[in-house]
Amino acid sequence: MTIVVAYSPDEYGRAALRAGADEARVRDEDLVLLNATRGDALVDPRFASDEHIVEVQDALQEQGLTAHVRHEVVPDIAAALVDVAREVGASRVVVGVRHRSPVGKALLGSVAQRVILDAPCAVLAVKP
Amino acid sequence: MEMLLEGFGTALTPTNLLYAVLGVLLGTAVGVLPGIGPAMTVALLLPVTYNVSPSSALILFAGIYYGGMYGGSTTSILLNTPGESSSVITALEGNKMAKAGRAAQALATAAIGSFVAGTIGTVLLVVLAPRVADVVVTLGAPSYFALMALALFAVTAVLGASKLRGFISLFLGLAIALVGTTTGQPRLTFGRPELADGIDVVVVAVAIFAIGEALWVAAHLRRRPLEVIPVGQPWMNREDWSRSWKPWLRGTAYGFPFGALPAGGAETPTLLSYITEKKLSKRPEEFGKGAIEGVAGPEAANNASAAGTLMSLLAIGLPTTATATIILLAMQSYGIQPGPQLFDAEPELVWGLLASLFVANTLLLVVNLPLAPVWARLLQIPRPYLYAGILFFASLGAYSVNFDAFDLGLLLVFGLLGLTMRRFGLPVLPLIIGVILGPRLETTLAEALAISQGDLSTLVGEPVAVVVYIVMALLLVGSIVGPRLRRTAPAHEDEEEKVDVR
Amino acid sequence: MTTTNDTPTQARPQVDRAQYGLSGFLAVVGAYVVIEAVGLAPGFADQSVQPDAFPYVVGTALLVLSVLLAVATARGDVAEAEGGEDVDLGQGSDWITVAKLTGVFLVAVVTIAWLGWAIVGAFLFAASARILGSRRLVLDVIVGIALALLTWYGFYVGLGIPIPAGILDGVL
Repeated sequence: MTIVVAYSPDEYGRAALRAGADEARVRDEDLVLLNATRGDALVDPRFASDEHIVEVQDALQEQGLTAHVRHEVVPDIAAALVDVAREVGASRVVVGVRHRSPVGKALLGSVAQRVILDAPCAVLAVKP
Repeated sequence: MEMLLEGFGTALTPTNLLYAVLGVLLGTAVGVLPGIGPAMTVALLLPVTYNVSPSSALILFAGIYYGGMYGGSTTSILLNTPGESSSVITALEGNKMAKAGRAAQALATAAIGSFVAGTIGTVLLVVLAPRVADVVVTLGAPSYFALMALALFAVTAVLGASKLRGFISLFLGLAIALVGTTTGQPRLTFGRPELADGIDVVVVAVAIFAIGEALWVAAHLRRRPLEVIPVGQPWMNREDWSRSWKPWLRGTAYGFPFGALPAGGAETPTLLSYITEKKLSKRPEEFGKGAIEGVAGPEAANNASAAGTLMSLLAIGLPTTATATIILLAMQSYGIQPGPQLFDAEPELVWGLLASLFVANTLLLVVNLPLAPVWARLLQIPRPYLYAGILFFASLGAYSVNFDAFDLGLLLVFGLLGLTMRRFGLPVLPLIIGVILGPRLETTLAEALAISQGDLSTLVGEPVAVVVYIVMALLLVGSIVGPRLRRTAPAHEDEEEKVDVR
Repeated sequence: MTTTNDTPTQARPQVDRAQYGLSGFLAVVGAYVVIEAVGLAPGFADQSVQPDAFPYVVGTALLVLSVLLAVATARGDVAEAEGGEDVDLGQGSDWITVAKLTGVFLVAVVTIAWLGWAIVGAFLFAASARILGSRRLVLDVIVGIALALLTWYGFYVGLGIPIPAGILDGVL
């Protein structure tokens, strides 16, 4: 079985990764990190650089964890997460969640929310 | 001199100052934003400014022009995506500097260099333009016809990679310009009464620049995001200053004359400046790894050439860059006839504009140095909103010309033409200049031949005209032979040039 | 909806066939200009440049250029599509999105006289954003309506240009 982590190079992604790594150790499972972007802006700060991905991988390896990183441009991030979870037969999906104002909730779709509803397995939502 | 002071009187009224600030901010923003440039912005704003006073509108546009140059260099340095050909060279060293953790210094030398070059360039413009205008105004129609032909030829054949495509674009533009009414009968109107007054150039410009670009991006929507180099407040230390000031001055010296020539553009002077700095540098080994001289020189050249461009626009009435072309269009839509008479006919407007260039330049430095991190955030705007916004404002602009759905249809047709041109690598500038200069070419020729009563030899009957035609011939020969001497061209390019010899 | 076009850049064919299409287009335009020139009545006898003079020159030039382009294409000349800050030519072109946008635009052209700018503008923005890949329908529509109303009132109040309101006449 596998733990899928929604990763981004910010506090939410790091929180998710910490929680995911803990889970992986406790349950003795592999990790799959998904760092995806919709690729619809010239710059996306939540899309990690290649060097950063290598660093993250190295760090996980040092902790004795096996981790695959998927670093992709996808049309829809929540759907991509759910797909990856199905594909690898995930036991857990870990996502970081942020505080959102009522207006934000009304207007913006939340990746975490859609993953929680659509995922084929348990979802762990962590706060930084 | 007192004219200039009066100009400052015009430029520094609260309203116009506001327009200058607005222009500078807007210009920098669109310079930074991907896919939008100053030419497109000014085109989009044309309809909006019909009801604003001409001097305010021109002050706004000048701010956008200068701001756009600055914004373009910001993205070259931070992202290595030169939006315009004039900032290609800046990206060479600028992006290397940024990667080496010296983004702040690269931005600072670009900004201060632009200010220095822009100011010197504007001084030269103020001193020289009226004198040049005095000379040009004495020229007869044959000489003026020759100058126009030179401008068209230069933009078409000298700039840009393929001469064949340049000419295709130019003649498409001239064909569009033929539409309208001539000696009481409709010409090329497809029987539509809406076309009797000709195709509105504003609609063509908005369509080609804005719709064409938006559709072209729509065809290439997704891509891996680029890595932006985080930046703080731009600053320079003493060493950076001492390494920068000479390149600024030399870059200015290259940029202004090239900009002022009808064939100039910013590519050549920025490249020359880069080569010079590399040669003169005490640390040539730093070039290619982020040498500050390689940012300072070309950036200065780039801005000085912008000032030079305004010289041929104001003193001769011939535009040589996309933005200058649209500014000329703006003048025409206000009923102002650009050309050498401008200084006598519209002194308040011209001197107000010149003074506002100084203001815009200063504002750029004051406003933009602290704002660099804010500008970098603009890059995160999602494409759907950016380009939906462009389509929205383009439609609004075209519709508000006459409130006629027909104009929206034209906008779509020419937008698709703009898309096709981008797909086939046809340069946009010759088409736009062709549309704008086409009618003037026809009237000037008619004027010249009316005086000579139809004798064609009058066209070479003035010394200036003869000189201009010789220059054109030399340019043609030079642009064909030059590249062959310098490098063995890749096979297909070589072939293209053979075909071009006409 | 938005198709991610994942086809890798096809190996460039030796001959860029689409360019023959461009060449044909130039020929049609050139021929039309020349035919139109033939049909023009002469101006005044003493007019130095007759109305058909420029059309002849431009039309002929377009015909010549069309032939030159065809020849160059046959010899293997390949169009260098325009790159740009926001265009990555490394991936194939997605013409479906362009076609959809064109459709939206046509709808706007047809309906604007009836519905007025406020409605058509909002539709234009929201639909374009959707086609271009935005997934937040509610937000798109709200932004579209806000933009359309703001520009309508901005033109009316700020610039004194009354844009026809269409069926909303009297409501706005």
